[in-house]
Amino acid sequence: MKNRMIALLAGISMVALLAGGCANTEAVKKDEAVVPTVAAAKVEPAKPVQPAVQPKAVEQVKPVQPEVVAPVAPKPVAPSKFETVYFDFDKSDLRTDARDVLSKNAEAILKAAAGTKVQIEGHCDDRGSAEYNLALGERRAKSVQKYLTTLNVKAENLSIISFGKEKPAVAGSDEAAWSKNRRAELVVVK
Amino acid sequence: MDRHDNIYGNSMKILLLVLLLAVPSVVVFAQDGYIEVTAPGNRQLKLAVVSPRSLEAPSNMETAKQVSDVIAFDMNMSGVVVAEGRIQTSIANSALGDVDFASWQSAGFDLLVKGEYSSKDGRLTAEFRLFDVLSRKQITAKRYLGTTKDLRRFSHSFADEILGAITGEKGVFTTRIAYVSTQTGNKEIYVMDWDGYNPLPLTKNGSINLNPDFSPDGREIIFTSYKRGNPDLYRRSLSNTAEVALSNRKGLNMTGSWSPDGSKIALALSKDGDAEIYTLNKDGSHPVRLTVNPALDLYPAWSPDGKRIAFVSDRLGKPQIFVMNADGGDVRRLTTSGNYNVNPRWSPKGDKIAYSRMGGGGFNIFTIAPDGSSDTQITSDGNNENPSWSADGRFICFSSKRSGGDGVYVVRADGTGQTKVSKGAGAYFAPVWSAR
Repeated sequence: MKNRMIALLAGISMVALLAGGCANTEAVKKDEAVVPTVAAAKVEPAKPVQPAVQPKAVEQVKPVQPEVVAPVAPKPVAPSKFETVYFDFDKSDLRTDARDVLSKNAEAILKAAAGTKVQIEGHCDDRGSAEYNLALGERRAKSVQKYLTTLNVKAENLSIISFGKEKPAVAGSDEAAWSKNRRAELVVVK
Repeated sequence: MDRHDNIYGNSMKILLLVLLLAVPSVVVFAQDGYIEVTAPGNRQLKLAVVSPRSLEAPSNMETAKQVSDVIAFDMNMSGVVVAEGRIQTSIANSALGDVDFASWQSAGFDLLVKGEYSSKDGRLTAEFRLFDVLSRKQITAKRYLGTTKDLRRFSHSFADEILGAITGEKGVFTTRIAYVSTQTGNKEIYVMDWDGYNPLPLTKNGSINLNPDFSPDGREIIFTSYKRGNPDLYRRSLSNTAEVALSNRKGLNMTGSWSPDGSKIALALSKDGDAEIYTLNKDGSHPVRLTVNPALDLYPAWSPDGKRIAFVSDRLGKPQIFVMNADGGDVRRLTTSGNYNVNPRWSPKGDKIAYSRMGGGGFNIFTIAPDGSSDTQITSDGNNENPSWSADGRFICFSSKRSGGDGVYVVRADGTGQTKVSKGAGAYFAPVWSAR
C-alpha cells in the first residue's frame, strides 16, 4: 500500500512537473525516459516476440548517448516498446511481476507525448477453445487497462483488443511456450 | 416414352424431370411398403452402383466412374446400405430398363443403380434409376439437365433420392460445409461440397477470419473478421464478394449464429464490459442482451424451433454449456460431466446437442439430450472441436487434429463412420454445415 502511494505521488508530481515545464525541458525529460524503457525491453526474455522491433530499439539507444542532441529532437518520442505482461493459465488477474512491469509501463506512458494512445492486446496460450480464449484474452487486456488507470494513465488513452490464441508469441505446445503466450502487450497506436 | 410405359407401367409416375437446380421437395416415396431397412438375417442392404453408360460414341470411363464413386461414397457414409461401385459391363445398347435381376441377386445385391448420360458442347443430360433387385421393380428415377460441371452435384442429388426412397427422408448430399483454413498462412474462410470436393475461398483479406455460419437458405454466411482491426461481424453472400459489417460494436463481435427462421442473429458482444449473449436483427440492428453476468458468455446455438438457445459460460468457474429461453429467461446448466465443455450446436431434429469437451489435454465431440441425459462420447482419436450437424441430423462434421491427418471430418450421429472429407493441406477450424 505504501509503495503504491509513493508511486502515485511520484506519478502526480511527474505530471505536475511536465505541466509546469517549458517546451524545451519537456522534450529533454521525455527523451531521457526512453532510455530506461528501452533498456527494460532488452532485458525481457521475450525476444522472439517481435524480432522485427529489435533493430529499431537499438537505433534509438544511440542518439541518446550525446545528451546535447536530445533537445534538438523536434517532438517528444513515444515509447516504441513496452514490457510484456504475463498471466497464469486460464487467469486474468495480475501477478506481482505483472504489476511491477505495469508500473514501469505506466511511467513510460505518462512521460510520453500528451495524447499518446496505447492499445492493450490480450493473448492466450493454445489450450482451450479458440472462442473462449478470445473472451479470456479480452479479460486479460481489461485487467491491464484497469490497473494502468489506477496508476493515473488516462482511460481515454487506453484501448483494448483480444486476439485469443490467434497470435502466439512463440510456437510450441509446452509450458515454456504457453507461459510466453499468455500475455498482454502494449502497443502505441499510430 | 412408349418403351418406358410398356416396361414400367405405373413406375413412370415417379420419373421426375429435374431441370438444373430446381429440385422441388417432391418426395419420391417408396412403393409397396418398401421402407427401412433390414435385409434377411439382419445384414445390411447391398447396393450396386453401376457407372452410367455414355450415349456418345467414345465413352469417358473417368466421367462415368466419378458418378458411381460419388453415389457409392454418399450411400456408404449414410450407413443405411453397403454400396459398391461397378464399372459398366459393355452390353452394347443395353437399355436403361434392361436389368438382369437374377445375376445381381445371385451376386448378393438388394438394390441397383443404373444410369446413362450425354455430354455435348458443355451440356449434360443424365438419367439415373434405382431398382429393387428382389422384387425386380424400379423404385425411383430422375433425369437431370445441366452443364458438365454439374455432374458431381447430379450424382449427389440422386444419392439424396436413393436415401429418400429407402428411409422416407431425403439425404443432404448436395449441401456444403464452410470452414476456416490456414492454407494461405492466414485464417481465411472457405466453402466446399460436403464430401470435400470443390473447395472455394470466400475471404482473401490476409487478416484473421473466424466462425462462419450459414443463413438458413444457405446463400449467405456471417463470420467474424479482424480485417479492419477490431473483431467485427460481417455478412456476405456466397455468390458475391461484397462484405457488409453487421456488427462493429466496441470489443468482441463474435460467434454469430443465424436463427432458424433467418430473422435474427445471436452472438457474443463485449460492448458492455465482458462477453455477453445478444440477439440482433439480421441487418445488425436492435441488440437485445440476453445474459447479465460478470462471467464470459459466448457461442450461442439456437434450438431448431428458435425458442431456446444453448451457450457457453464460465459463470461457475470453468466453461460449461447452459440452455436458456430465446429471451434470456429460464437459464439451466446442461453439461455436468467434464470441467471444460464448449461449442454447443443443436441438432436439426431438436433431440440432441453436440459439443466438444476438453479432457486429458485434448478435445472430443460429445452429444447430449437437451434435458441433460444421454451424454455420449462420439470421438476419441486426436483433438476434435466445433461440431456442426447436417440438416437431416444424420451426420456431424467437426475439425480434427490427429495422426490420421488434420482436417474436416464427418461422423454419423451415433459415432460410426468417421471419415476425413477435406482434401487440402493446412489446419482446418470451425466447420459449419449448410441447411438443405
